[in-house]
Amino acid sequence: MVSLARKNLFHDRVRFAVALLGIQLAVVLMTLQIGFFLKFMTNASVLIDHIEADIWITAKNLKNFDFGLPFSEQKLYEARRIPGVLWAEKFLMGFSYWKMPDGGQETIQVIGFNPETRIGAPWDIVEGDLDEVKYFTQIFIDEADRERLGFPRVGDEVEIIGQRARIAGITRGAKSFVGSPFVFTSFKNALKLSFIPPGQTVYILVKVAPGYTVQEVKEHLARTLTGVDVYTKREFSWKSRRYWLLVTGAGIALLSTALLGLLVGTVIVGQTIYASTMEHLKEFGTLKAIGASNADLYRILIAQALIMAVIGYATGMLLARAFLNVARRAGLEAYLPLEVLAGIFGLTLLMCIGASILSIYKVTKLDPALVFRS
Amino acid sequence: MSAPWLVLDRVSKVYGDGASAVVAVREVSMELQGGRFVLLMGPSGSGKTTLLMLMGCLLKPTRGRLFLFEHEVSALDERTLPFLRRRYIGFVFQTFNLFPALTAMENVELALNLKGINGREAQRRALALLARVGLRDRLHFLPRDLSGGEKQRVALARALAGDPPILLADEPTGMLDSRTGRQIVELLADLARVEGRLVFMVTHDQRVRDLADDILFMEDGSLVARESAGDLRELVSRREGR
Ligand SMILES: Nc1ncnc2c1ncn2[C@@H]1O[C@H](COP(=O)(O)OP(=O)(O)OP(=O)(O)O)[C@@H](O)[C@H]1O
Ligand SMILES: [Mg+2]
Repeated sequence: MVSLARKNLFHDRVRFAVALLGIQLAVVLMTLQIGFFLKFMTNASVLIDHIEADIWITAKNLKNFDFGLPFSEQKLYEARRIPGVLWAEKFLMGFSYWKMPDGGQETIQVIGFNPETRIGAPWDIVEGDLDEVKYFTQIFIDEADRERLGFPRVGDEVEIIGQRARIAGITRGAKSFVGSPFVFTSFKNALKLSFIPPGQTVYILVKVAPGYTVQEVKEHLARTLTGVDVYTKREFSWKSRRYWLLVTGAGIALLSTALLGLLVGTVIVGQTIYASTMEHLKEFGTLKAIGASNADLYRILIAQALIMAVIGYATGMLLARAFLNVARRAGLEAYLPLEVLAGIFGLTLLMCIGASILSIYKVTKLDPALVFRS
Repeated sequence: MSAPWLVLDRVSKVYGDGASAVVAVREVSMELQGGRFVLLMGPSGSGKTTLLMLMGCLLKPTRGRLFLFEHEVSALDERTLPFLRRRYIGFVFQTFNLFPALTAMENVELALNLKGINGREAQRRALALLARVGLRDRLHFLPRDLSGGEKQRVALARALAGDPPILLADEPTGMLDSRTGRQIVELLADLARVEGRLVFMVTHDQRVRDLADDILFMEDGSLVARESAGDLRELVSRREGR
C-alpha cells in the first residue's frame, strides 16, 4: 500500500517540522512536569508509605508528616489496650541542627525508631548494620543527603546540637520532601539529638490484628484516645501529599504546566494538520473521485496523526531525557514509572487524533466539484 | 446490440434551493454504449461538469433516474457510490490532480491500492499502465518534474487503474498546447475504439471533433444537439417521453 499519509508528511517538510515541534513541546512539558510532580508526591509521604503501620496516631490538627508535634507517651499504652491492635509503637521525628565542617548549621529531621522491633526503621540499607544504633549515638543518613551534609563517611564523627554522633551506615530512597535530610537513630539517641522532650512521642504507629478491619480499629482508637488524631496509612499519606500540593501551590503549578503543554501542543498540531488538510483538499477530492470512500480518507488522516504522534513522542522523549539529565545534575529528580510514560504516549496519540478531528470534518463535507476546478 | 452501459432518464441536478436554486442539468436523457468516444461541448456554465459528476457517481441526481450497468445509481445509498466509482469509472481532470508527493508509479499504484490490488501485482500493473501511455522512462519522477502532457498521461494511467470500462474526462487538454492535447485525445480515442471502453470527454477544442464518434451539445443544462461520426446533420435530440 502506498502511504499517502507518510509521503505527504515528508513532502511538506517545513510543516511537518512545525507539527513535530508542537508535539515535542507537549511531550517534554508533560514528561518533566508530571515526572517532577510524581516525585514530589512520593517524596512528601516517603516514610509513611514505607513504614508497615496501618494506622498513624498524631498530635491534634497536624498539617502533615513533616510538621509532627510531640504528645504524651501515655497514649501509647492506651492504644495498646484497644482490641484489634496487634502492636503499637512510638515513632519520633523532630527538627534539629547538624554542624557542618565549615562551622555552619544544616537543618535535619531526626527520626527515632525502636531498634529492637525495627518498626519505622529505614528499609533500604546501603552500608552498615542497623543494630549499631542501639549503642552510643550512632546514626544512619541517606546517600542522597551526603552532599548536603558535607560528604561524611561511615565511621565519621559529627556534631548535632552539641552532641557527638557517629555515622553507622547509609540508607537509600529515604529523602525528605521538605529537603531537610533525615537522620535515623534509636529513640534514646533521637531524644539526645533533637528537642523532643522525654516522655513524649511524635507519632504512634499501629498494626491491626488479623480479623479486624483497619477502619474499625481506627474508629475505636479515635473514640477512645483524646487529644490526638487517628489516620489510616492512606489517609495520612494523602494528607501529607495534599498539604504540599495545595497549600504550597507547587503541585498545582506543576500540573497546570503539564496541562498547558498538552493544550499548546494540541493547538499547534491542530493548526498545522488543519492547514495541511486545507492545502491538500483537492487531493482528498481526487481520492474520492478515483474510488476512495470517506472511511479511506479518515484512515489517511488518522495515519498522519499516528505517524506524527510516534515520531513526535520518540523525539520528544529524547529531548525530555536530556532535560531530565540536566535537572538531575541540579538536584531535581523526576519519578516516571513505565505506566506514566505509556500514559503520556496515550495523551500524545489523543492530542494528534484530536487535532485531526476538524480536518476529518472538513473532508467529510468536501465538495466533489472541487476536483474539476482549475 | 447489448444493453447500454450508462442510461440517463430525464436526469436533473439542482444546486441549492429556494430563490438561489440553480438548475445545472435539466431533464437530460441518453444511452451510452461501450466502444465509443463521445465529446460533450457547450458554453461555460452549461452544466457539462455537473453532468460528468452525475455520470461518475460523484453526485446523485435531484430528479430522474440514472443507471450504470443496470445499477440504479439514483436509488442507491451514498455509501455504495464509492464502490461503483471504483469498479466502473476512471476520471481525468483538466488540472491533472496528481498527488504531488507521489512519483508517477506511486500515483498509479495508489489508485490500484484503492481498488484492492496491492504489493507486487500493483507494481506490475502500474508499470504496464505507464508503459501503455508511453511513460516507461518516467516511472520515478515526481509530478513537478514532468511536463503537462506527461502529467496528463500519468493521470490517464491512473484513471485506467483497475481497468474501468468507462472513462470520464473534463477538459483534459485545457492546460496543454494543441499538439500535446491532440496526442492525449488520440490516446483517449484509442481507449474507446481499440479497447472497447466508453470514453466521455468534455472539451472546448473544436479541432478534435474529427476524432469523436458522437458529439453532444449542451446549453443551459439541457442537451440540445447531437452529431454523429460522418454525419454532419445536427439532430436535436431531446428525447423526452422515450
Ligand atoms: N456547487 C455548486 N453550487 C451551486 N451552483 C453550482 C455548483 N456547481 C456548479 N454550479 C452552477 O451550475 C451551473 C453548471 O456548472 P458546471 O460547472 O456544470 O458548468 P460547466 O458547463 O462545466 O462550465 P465550464 O465550461 O465553465 O466548466 C453553473 O451555473 C454553475 O454556476
Ligand atoms: Mg466544467
